[in-house]
Amino acid sequence: MTTNGHGNEIDLLVRTSRMLARMNRARPGTRASQGLYYQLLADYYTRVRHAHEEGKLLAAHTVFFPTEILYAMDIVPMHTEMTTWLIALFLREQAEVLAKGAELGLAPEICSPHRGVAGILGLNAIPRPDVVLWSNLICDNTAKSGELMMELSGSPGFFLDNPFQDSPAELDYLTGELEEMVRFLQEQSGRKLDLGKLAEAVDRTNREIDLYREIGELRKAVPAPLSILGYMELLSADYMFPGQPEAIQYLTLLRDELKEMVREGRGAVSPERFRLMTLFIPPMHLMSFLGRLFEEHGAVSAVEPLFTYWSEGTLNPARPLESVARKSFMLPERRSMYGPLSEQALRDISEGAEQYRIDGAVFWAFMGCRHTCATIKIFKETLSEVDVPMLTIDCDIVDPTVNPEEEVREKLEQFFELLEDR
Amino acid sequence: VLPSLDRFREVNRTFPQTADVLEHKRRGGKVFGWLCTYVPEEILHAAGILPVRVTGYSREIELEDGSAYMYINNCSFSRSCLQMGLRGEYDYLDGVVAGSTCDGARRLFDLWVHYVGVPFHHIITVPRKYTERAHALYYQQVSGFKLQLEEHLGAEISDERLIASVQLYNESRELLRRLYELRKLAAPPITGAETMEVLNASFRMPKEAFNEHLRRLLDELEASPVRHTPRARLMVTGSVMNNPEFIASIEELGALVVTDELCTSTRYWSDPVVLDGRPPLEAIARRYLNNFPCARMVPSDGRFDRILGLVRDYRVDGVVSQIIRYCVPYAHDLPLLTARLSDIGVPTLALDVEYGTSGSGQIRTRVQAFLEMLEARKK
Repeated sequence: MTTNGHGNEIDLLVRTSRMLARMNRARPGTRASQGLYYQLLADYYTRVRHAHEEGKLLAAHTVFFPTEILYAMDIVPMHTEMTTWLIALFLREQAEVLAKGAELGLAPEICSPHRGVAGILGLNAIPRPDVVLWSNLICDNTAKSGELMMELSGSPGFFLDNPFQDSPAELDYLTGELEEMVRFLQEQSGRKLDLGKLAEAVDRTNREIDLYREIGELRKAVPAPLSILGYMELLSADYMFPGQPEAIQYLTLLRDELKEMVREGRGAVSPERFRLMTLFIPPMHLMSFLGRLFEEHGAVSAVEPLFTYWSEGTLNPARPLESVARKSFMLPERRSMYGPLSEQALRDISEGAEQYRIDGAVFWAFMGCRHTCATIKIFKETLSEVDVPMLTIDCDIVDPTVNPEEEVREKLEQFFELLEDR
Repeated sequence: VLPSLDRFREVNRTFPQTADVLEHKRRGGKVFGWLCTYVPEEILHAAGILPVRVTGYSREIELEDGSAYMYINNCSFSRSCLQMGLRGEYDYLDGVVAGSTCDGARRLFDLWVHYVGVPFHHIITVPRKYTERAHALYYQQVSGFKLQLEEHLGAEISDERLIASVQLYNESRELLRRLYELRKLAAPPITGAETMEVLNASFRMPKEAFNEHLRRLLDELEASPVRHTPRARLMVTGSVMNNPEFIASIEELGALVVTDELCTSTRYWSDPVVLDGRPPLEAIARRYLNNFPCARMVPSDGRFDRILGLVRDYRVDGVVSQIIRYCVPYAHDLPLLTARLSDIGVPTLALDVEYGTSGSGQIRTRVQAFLEMLEARKK
């Protein structure tokens, strides 16, 4: 990897994102929201790139971390797993990054984005974070990756203990954890938490969740208006900009575009032949390939119930910290991935299959994500009860050696044939 | 030479369908399985329940059902336990209690409830920190568990009964501590493999009977002329492991496992419940969260410091880290722990294993090379 030790890969991410934004804007028939998405990505990493120059604290944090608080303290967040994904997706440097993770002593069974995070820090491929923030939402890997990150970056850190179940006592505990984290960040940054700014973020989070729900409703249309690439955009909008104007801007534009497409009866692929349910996240390095393959076969990911359905509830901006804590209990991923396996998650799958008129489901069995794979059989049986077949593809989100394109093509094409026969 | 050890071996040979369990059931008693060391056994005992630890097959076998139901990328301990459950080997259980300890344990609990089924099931949220707020949450969780259990049984679990159970369990911990003191000797009278037989029985037998037999074993060991003089003193750390044959395979090469940092050993019994005038439930909760930490806890230094303490106390020459594939908490800790051990001049042998392994040819070869390296360092 060519790196100057000062975040060279971040420069490359910025340039690639900008280029993709330009390409998407220039390509006829492409959603404007897609161009905006890449522009926002470029903006996000530009902030990461310039955080130190601007005298801002740069905080590396694991997935599902409440970065609303960081924004409200004018601290620049850097999503560690997403940064690894994007290095895999855009820069194709995963081999070197994972090799470095292995050299640091991380076993191959450890989730590859976390091995990758250690790798990119070990290679000095990203700017040195001033603080490391991590939490146990959503697995042992997130819970355990922070200390090595601290050691590699020589930075102080804070572990946010996110309780396992949803109860008033656990909500109080998490709120207390957030208060403690704010104290830590205030000490590190010398900046106070702007509660007014946080309340605004909470207010926007309510709008953001409403937009996710509206988009979810629009995606029930036949033909479905959003491609599998759109699924990744939906995911990262909240990962990068929770409760921020950027998320609202992107989701509003996407919602309006989808509304228009639905009104005109236009689908993401034409003709639409297979409406799929996606369970878990497809490999990042295969996204462009999957986009092409799905288009070729008229397949579309119509719904991802475990990643894009938000739990019921509204947040209270008058109680901003508690609301940020509450939000973590409402996250779509939480129902199936954290806490005792809920009946609601199973209902979401079976009802989603019916409401979205699903022909088949694909479970991307990411081998580094043990707790999600533990539910494969239950999910398969749940779908079988509503007569929806499920294909399971073993994969790795980051490492392309686990499932080469041709192998994935063969499995998906066989599945499409099966769906055709039905 | 050690008749009491034979009693423990017999329990382990017949587990899960031991004579004690079957007798307890025959008398109308309830038996509950617990899935991890953050489940306070004393509460079950005080309720008149026989607690047994759910463990998997004590040998490496094909886990067809375990893998089919839980997928291959979950640790073989969870899959092994689940397979035993699915095949009815724990068919007598009246309840299963788990903690949100690690992904493997919590998914084992989910699937046990879903596929095996049991009249009572409960999972305790276990914080990953030691702060006072974490203690308050854990206490609230333990209280909630006790309350739910009382409702299920239709009977109150009194403080008096809790105190009696604490005293019984503390006695057991003290006896195990005495056993471990013998392992500190230059020539210990007991091997690591034999110790593992005792430990296995400790969470499979009624504590009353276990204590009685362990007391006898301690007498037998003191009278025994057998003393083991090893070529190297080793410590075993890492994932859940309770197979004496694995340790025996190391000891057959002339080493002696003199201590261990496992949730089936020191992390199970090390710390007593300190009543100290506190209400018993509070004391129990404090002990279980503060206990010798599992790799799940943050910061990991709590665990590392205890390991370094054991290395010093037991004069350990080298550490064998055995980590089950996909046991992520320990895998994440390994580079950090190895560095800390290296800082005090103690080498680590890192083994990737499957639960139940007895020490295959390759493991044996690596242990042999490790022992040679340790010997070369001594010269």
